[in-house]
Amino acid sequence: MSRYRITGRGRVDHGATVSFTFDGKTYQGLRGDTVASALLANGVHLMGRSFKYHRPRGVVTAGSEEPNALIGTTRGPGRFEPNTRATVQELRKGLVTESQNKWPRLSFDLGAINDRAYMLFSAGFYYKTFMWPKSFWDKVYEPFIRNAAGLGKSPTEVDPDRYASRNLHTDLLIVGGGAAGIAAALVAARSGARVVLVDENPEMGGALLSDPAVKIEGQGAWAWLDDKLSELRALGVRLMTRTTAIGYYHQNFVALCERLTDHLDTPPANAPRERMWHVRANQVVLAQGALEKPLVYDGNDRPGVMLAGAAQTYLNRYGVRVGDNVAVLTSHDSAYHAAFDLADAGSRIAAVIDTRRDIRTDLLDAAKQRGIEVLRGHSATGTKGRLRIKSVRVNPVQGDKVGASREISCDALLMSGGWTPSLHLFSHTKGSLSWDADSNTFLPDRKTEACHIAGAGRGLWGYAAVLEDGVKAGLAAVEALSRTAQPRDLPVENDRPGTGVSHTELPTDRSPGKAKAFVDYQNDVTAKDLRLAVREGMRSIEHVKRYTTNGMATDQGKMSNINGLMIAADALAKQPPQVGLTTFRPPYTPTSFGAFAGYLRGETFQLTRKTPIDPWAEAHGAVFEPVAQWRRAWYFPKAGEDMHAAVARECRATRASAGIFDASTLGKIEVAGPDAVEFMNRMYTNPWTRLAAGRCRYGLLLGEDGFIRDDGVIGRLSDDLFHVTTTTGGAARVLNMMEDYLQTEWPDLNVWLTSTTEQWATVALNGPNARKVLEPLVEGLDLSDDRFPHMSVAECTVAGLPARLFRLSFTGELGFEINVPARHGLKLWEALMESGRAHDICPYGTETMHVLRAEKGYIIVGQDTDGTVTPQDAGLTWAIGQKKPDFVGKRSLSRPDIVGKGRKQLVGLLTEDGSQLEEGAQIVLDPHQSLPMKMVGHVTSSYASATLGHPIAMAVIEGGHDRMGEVVHVPMPDGVRRARVTSTVFYDPEGARLKA
Amino acid sequence: MNTQKHDFTAAPVQIEELAPAARFSLRVRPDGRAALAQALGLDLPGGIGDRTADGGREALCLGPDEWLILAPEAAPLAKAAASVYADAPHSLTEISDREITLRLSGPQVLDLLASCCPRDVEAMPEGRGCRTVYDSATVTLWRDGPTEFRMDVWRSFLPHVLGLMALTKAELQAGL
Repeated sequence: MSRYRITGRGRVDHGATVSFTFDGKTYQGLRGDTVASALLANGVHLMGRSFKYHRPRGVVTAGSEEPNALIGTTRGPGRFEPNTRATVQELRKGLVTESQNKWPRLSFDLGAINDRAYMLFSAGFYYKTFMWPKSFWDKVYEPFIRNAAGLGKSPTEVDPDRYASRNLHTDLLIVGGGAAGIAAALVAARSGARVVLVDENPEMGGALLSDPAVKIEGQGAWAWLDDKLSELRALGVRLMTRTTAIGYYHQNFVALCERLTDHLDTPPANAPRERMWHVRANQVVLAQGALEKPLVYDGNDRPGVMLAGAAQTYLNRYGVRVGDNVAVLTSHDSAYHAAFDLADAGSRIAAVIDTRRDIRTDLLDAAKQRGIEVLRGHSATGTKGRLRIKSVRVNPVQGDKVGASREISCDALLMSGGWTPSLHLFSHTKGSLSWDADSNTFLPDRKTEACHIAGAGRGLWGYAAVLEDGVKAGLAAVEALSRTAQPRDLPVENDRPGTGVSHTELPTDRSPGKAKAFVDYQNDVTAKDLRLAVREGMRSIEHVKRYTTNGMATDQGKMSNINGLMIAADALAKQPPQVGLTTFRPPYTPTSFGAFAGYLRGETFQLTRKTPIDPWAEAHGAVFEPVAQWRRAWYFPKAGEDMHAAVARECRATRASAGIFDASTLGKIEVAGPDAVEFMNRMYTNPWTRLAAGRCRYGLLLGEDGFIRDDGVIGRLSDDLFHVTTTTGGAARVLNMMEDYLQTEWPDLNVWLTSTTEQWATVALNGPNARKVLEPLVEGLDLSDDRFPHMSVAECTVAGLPARLFRLSFTGELGFEINVPARHGLKLWEALMESGRAHDICPYGTETMHVLRAEKGYIIVGQDTDGTVTPQDAGLTWAIGQKKPDFVGKRSLSRPDIVGKGRKQLVGLLTEDGSQLEEGAQIVLDPHQSLPMKMVGHVTSSYASATLGHPIAMAVIEGGHDRMGEVVHVPMPDGVRRARVTSTVFYDPEGARLKA
Repeated sequence: MNTQKHDFTAAPVQIEELAPAARFSLRVRPDGRAALAQALGLDLPGGIGDRTADGGREALCLGPDEWLILAPEAAPLAKAAASVYADAPHSLTEISDREITLRLSGPQVLDLLASCCPRDVEAMPEGRGCRTVYDSATVTLWRDGPTEFRMDVWRSFLPHVLGLMALTKAELQAGL
């Protein structure tokens, strides 16, 4: 094992080595390592190349905020993931990883030429460079930008993993399993409330995992953690690790993404890779802690430069020293503890370089004890080392004066610019922030949700303070739940309290304009870029951000936002809150598309409704089409037939003898009660009072605007009972509209609505021989034209099944619609097929249904109407009960624009050359007019009619009803067609066939 | 009762399709409630989500004027209701075939339901019912025991619901 790993130290399993590869080379790590800690244990700091300048980069953090160490990970075909944070990905056996953004290799990258051309890539580079000439945009600039955009390769294969989702209701959700979160949970769990504690790390504990020397309640931090976590488990608290709260939405709805298998050597079969939890919590405690800030100075991005807290984590949690000769640069007390821990673990501390003059004496004493040199009031002004830091250049600072430099050799440089409270989730709730001038940071202020913020997340520092605050948050949450809990004292020994100051760029004796002092590591934004943006006129932080891309990478500025703001504010000579803070948006950390999609992919992507007769259609080779949520048989091709041939055959067979059609998808609503007829009179345009029981009628439904919304045949089964049918797509909409009127406008009516769409399977039987097919199966009803004329309805028995039988037609032929309880639909269909064999019965699909109805000029709502068509426009004035006092839409039908001339009206069209028009084709009156031409309408329906031997079309045309016989012009892809305006009824205009 | 078992194994959840029974949607105003209850021989509970059962018949209150009625047979129920129609106008619509009923049970049935139902099913007391959704399908959920549920699913939505349940079941069997 490498000399950087300290045997027996940390929370990794020193008895379990795990091998993995990075850029093709095999390394050994330990169970419990992340890729980053394992590489560091092997002395590898160089883990990536930066986005813009391709500068060599090492790991900076030990957590999910990592901006540099982004790697590609692989677990077999389709399981490649780019931009995985090496600080988050746990080692598993055989894990294959690779660095990104380098060519030909990580240690020698030709793209680093950008680094030499640094001065060219200033803020607003894209805006300034890709401007002129305009013609370059499509061919040159956009491909260039697209090629350069993004870090890592997108996967190209379908992701074979499963993703899951789960709903969770809880009294209290605590986000963050550190000291504050655990303290809150300890208090709340005893109140009897349902408590959920989540943490994004593989284990609970937060900073305590990196501070084992701290003692709580007389126990070492780790022993205390074990104890308290067992206690919480025993009290029924749900502890969720590897679970990131990614978004905080309205009414305490919090989304959690749980990573289930990425850390496992061999995931169980069918295990989902990730699960999205939709949590509805009565109360939320945010205990997210704080993120350490880098310091900004020339060369602050070399491999080996990292946050002091991260080095402390690598040491104490993973047993890894990040270097042999470590320099520490800080403006906060916390970095001293990293230095002390490393010194005690055998690393040499080259120096602690503190930007401050006044330093706590206990820290100075402890440094002195360890023989550590502390440089007070110093600045860092440069670093050396190409693939790993070799030295740091430091200068004393006195007032504005930067003194002579000194070079300090080191193989790692730890930095701490202080700590930023993690406000992301609080910010999602649109809670307001207040600027704390003392600590130079934003703190949570006014809350909009039932939440409590505890610990370092609201600017506190030191375990005693944080634990006390956690207890307080727990008590507040319990009180808000109207429960009671006991306060709890959690005394701390060996605490590590601390304070610090914050800076813009550190002062330098060199030209600041040449400093590569990075603020945003992931997007390669420097302090110079930010100042340039301000010089070029950006005043708001939102503009500065977009101009420079500061904080716009996938880490969302977790490390860069506050430093960026401080520098922009300094350049503008304003206070930071006057410049503003950019908005944090979900997700907190990058989240896979799979986790968002959950189960909604493949077969379960979207609900597909199928009728009881669907299996027969499938078995008989039907081609299907989606209609609303349904899949419907479109046509039934025989061997060698294309759609045109199949539809022509189906149409001819139906008109010649008998066709059978699955109409089960039609919406059905039972309207029942003493006031049923009054309700129907008010809803539909037609008069219903004099419709006798046993008869049916075409019904037309308008909106208040007078435009057609839906239609369908409606049967009156008894005085108080109507069987309403709607269009397939309109079923739910019509029921909602009816319920809306009933509940809000006419609550006095004694009538009730029940959806029966799925109660009935419906088969339509059409053709001159339809009666002959049906008659042998019917009991209890005389089907003759005298006794059961067109537009009749009756309850009877068909094929031994209880049925509601309608005589109606949507084809112009003698027609019946037979409704039987849905479970018997297939049985009915098969009985009719059997009975129809003697008459060459032909199953047909929706396409033939469309052709047959178009030959008769029957409209399809939503195809021949578009929400702007009135009954008059559609030629359906006959369906309006003129004598009725009112119905929905009646008043609108007398509006001037509705009764005026020039409305688009539905007509038939026949081309002079016998060619078929395209649906949607525009119509002009004069093809020789100058551009842009005036379009007077469009083709709504167009079919080849096998019955008529030529194509037919329907169209809406301005003043169409007055243009009968006129010629209009229809531009088609291959030329302009002349078409004559006709009636919409192309076949059997007298309707003789209906009465057969 | 069971006609079609989708699963015979004990753990972690069982999903069974129940044989059809007579099912009605009853709508009646408050002043007609007692008359209907008497005619049907079944107390009509007043609180939404409350249930009653008597002689093989069950009632679940789904709204201030709405009950779901289950019975072994349809005809006697319809006849009984019709006899009081003049005095207590109502709508009793047979919907026996509209939905198919699943029985869901097993130690992890709450997880199965939580995968696609946003409601706090865990907190739902035994012996109650509710109208809710399972993914995008409207369903009626009956809690019959700590880990015993019935779910009425509109017929055409059933394949989608069962497809999702199969995914969740595999996930529960994986143990993660």
